[in-house]
Amino acid sequence: MDFNPCMKHKAVRKSVRKFAETELGPIAHDIDRDSRFPWEIIEKMRPLNYFGLQVPKEYGGAELDCTSYAITIEELSRVCAAIGLCITVHNSVGAYPIVRFGTPEQKKRFLPRLASGEQIGAFCLTEANAGSDAGAVETTAIYDNGQYVINGTKVFVTNGGVCGLALIFAVTNTDTQGAGASVLMVEKDTPGFSVGELEDLCGMRANPVSSLFLEDVRVPEDNMLGRPGDGLKIGLNALDTGRIGIAAQALGIAQAAFEAAVKYSKERQQFKKPIASFQTIQNYLADMATEIDAARLLLYRACAINDAGQPFGTEAAMAKLYCSTVASRVTNLALQIHGGYGYSKEYDVERYFRDAKITEIYEGTSEVQRLVIARGVLSQLT
Amino acid sequence: MVSELPWDSKTGTLRRDLAEGMMNPACANALEAAFQIKRRYGGDIITITMGPPMAEEVLYEATAMGADRGVLLTDPYMAGGDTFVTSHTLARAIEKECPDFDLVLCGCHTSDSETAQVGPQLAEELDIPGVAYVEQLEINNRTVRMQRLSDNFFETLEMDLPGLVTVTTQANAPRYPSLSVLETAFGKPDISILGAADLGLEPETIGVQGSPTKILDVYSSTAKKKNLIMKGTAKKIVDEVFEKFGDRISGAIKKDLKTHYHEKKP
Repeated sequence: MDFNPCMKHKAVRKSVRKFAETELGPIAHDIDRDSRFPWEIIEKMRPLNYFGLQVPKEYGGAELDCTSYAITIEELSRVCAAIGLCITVHNSVGAYPIVRFGTPEQKKRFLPRLASGEQIGAFCLTEANAGSDAGAVETTAIYDNGQYVINGTKVFVTNGGVCGLALIFAVTNTDTQGAGASVLMVEKDTPGFSVGELEDLCGMRANPVSSLFLEDVRVPEDNMLGRPGDGLKIGLNALDTGRIGIAAQALGIAQAAFEAAVKYSKERQQFKKPIASFQTIQNYLADMATEIDAARLLLYRACAINDAGQPFGTEAAMAKLYCSTVASRVTNLALQIHGGYGYSKEYDVERYFRDAKITEIYEGTSEVQRLVIARGVLSQLT
Repeated sequence: MVSELPWDSKTGTLRRDLAEGMMNPACANALEAAFQIKRRYGGDIITITMGPPMAEEVLYEATAMGADRGVLLTDPYMAGGDTFVTSHTLARAIEKECPDFDLVLCGCHTSDSETAQVGPQLAEELDIPGVAYVEQLEINNRTVRMQRLSDNFFETLEMDLPGLVTVTTQANAPRYPSLSVLETAFGKPDISILGAADLGLEPETIGVQGSPTKILDVYSSTAKKKNLIMKGTAKKIVDEVFEKFGDRISGAIKKDLKTHYHEKKP
C-alpha cells in the first residue's frame, strides 16, 4: 500500500494550485460578495481542459483518472469553492453521463463543446417536490412523432444561469412514474427553455444557481441519453462520480479553513502569547488535522477503487458523507479560532463556513449517504 | 521562499530534498521563452536540471508544457555544489546530451540563493558568448537580438549563435500546462537520469568536495520593532516623520513621497 502520491498526481496538484492561487485567489472574496460568475477566469480555464477533465482525448478532454480529477476539484475549491462547484458539476454530472452512456453520435455531437467549455453543463434532477426522493420527479417528456415534448420546472440547478446544455430528468412513461424516468439533453437555445431568477443562497454565491423552466420544449428523440426508463440508473451512476467531486470540494474547503486557522493562531496574540501556544487551540488544530487527513484518505481510496475499475458507490458515499461532515466541523472550528474576526467578512473563514454547509446537502444529503452506505453494507455482509 | 526552507546547519546548504519539487520562477520564464522561440523558429527543447531525485518533477512539468525531453542530473556526489561546480557539471551534461545546441536559456537567478552566477559561468564553461538579465529576444538567422534593463537604461545587444541567455521574470508570463498535456506527459515522458559516472566526472571535482566556495554561516535577517513617541505640534511631528522615515515610506508605497510632500508645501 503506497500512500505517496505519484509524480502525475503531484504535478496535477501543483499545476491546479498555481492556477487557482494566481487567478482565483485575488477575486474569490469579491465574486462571493457580488454573487458574480467570473467569465474572465472561465475563459482562461477553457484551453487548460478544466471543462473536459474526464472526457476522452478524442473529444478534446484531458481524460484524467479519478484521483487526478478529485485533486483538481480539491485544489480549485481550496481557493474558490463556487468555481470548484461549477467545474465539478459540469464534469461529473454534466459531461460524464454522456461519456458513460452516450451513443457514439451523441458523444460526437455534445462532448467537444462541453470539453472545450463552450457549453457549460447542468444536471437537473431536483424539483420543488422531488429532492432526496428522485422518484417523485413531475417533469414529463411525452413522445410525439420522433420528438419528446418536455414540460416542468427544475429548481436549485447548479450552473443554471450559465448552462449551455442541461441534462433533464423527466418522466417518459407517466403510468410507471419514477421507474419511467429518462434523461434528455436540452440545449439552452431550444424554444420553451428558460432560466429563472438566480437563487440568493447562503454560500457558493459566485455560482449562478437557478430554476429552469421547460414549457413545451421539443427535442429530437436522439437527445435521449440511454433508453426510455434508464433515468434512475444514469442518475445514480452520475451521482456516484458526483459524490467524489463534492467530497473533494468539501476537503478543499476544509483544507483552506485549516490553513487559515493555523496561520491566524500563530499570529494572534492574547495574554502576550500567540494563541497557538494554548492547549485548547492546539487541541482544535490537532482534531482538524486528523479529521482532514482521515477524510482525504477515505476520498482517495474511493478514487483508487474507481480507477481500478471496481464498484465504488459505497466508498464514494462514505467519502462524501465524511468529507462534508469534516468540512462543516473544521470551518466551524476555524471560525471559532478566529474569534470575532472570524465572524467578519474581512476574513475568508466566514466564506469557508458558509460554503461548507451545502456540501452536507447537495448531491445527496448526509442522510441519503447513510442510506446508500447502509444498503451497501447490508448487501455485502450476512 | 528561502526563509520557508530548512537549512543544514553543518554544511550551510539548503535542504533541497525537503523543498516541494517546484520550478524556479525565472526558469519558468526561460522555458516560456524557449516555447515562444520554438513556435516562431522551430527546434527541439531539452530541459536539464541538477538536483535530488525529486527534481524530476520539474522535468515532467516542463515536458507537460511542451518540452521535447528532459535530463536529470542527480548523484549524491553532486550534492552541495557551489555555482562553479554546478556550471561545470551542467556544461558536461550539455556536451554529452546535446552537443549541437544553438541556444542555452537559463533563469537569471534562483529564488533560493539568488547568486545569478550559474548562467554566466556556464557560458564560460561551454566557451560561448552569454548575455544575462534578458527581457526580450528575437532570432534572425544565426543572430540573437536582445533587450535588457541595465542601470535603468534599456540595452540592445546582438550575439551570434551558439550562445547563452539568462532570462528575467519580467520577460514573459509563463503558461499553465493544460491538464490534457499533463496527462499525456506522464504517460510516456522522455526523461533520462544521469549521475557523475555517466558524465565522466570524478567525485572530488564536483558537489561539496569540488566546490571552492564554502559557506561559513547562514542566518536569517530579523526585523526589529520599536515604539517611538514624538512630541510637539502636528506640523513638527509630520516633518519629523518624513525626515526620518520618508525614504522607507516612499519605498513601500512606490511613490516619491518626499518630492510630493515638498511640492505641496506653500
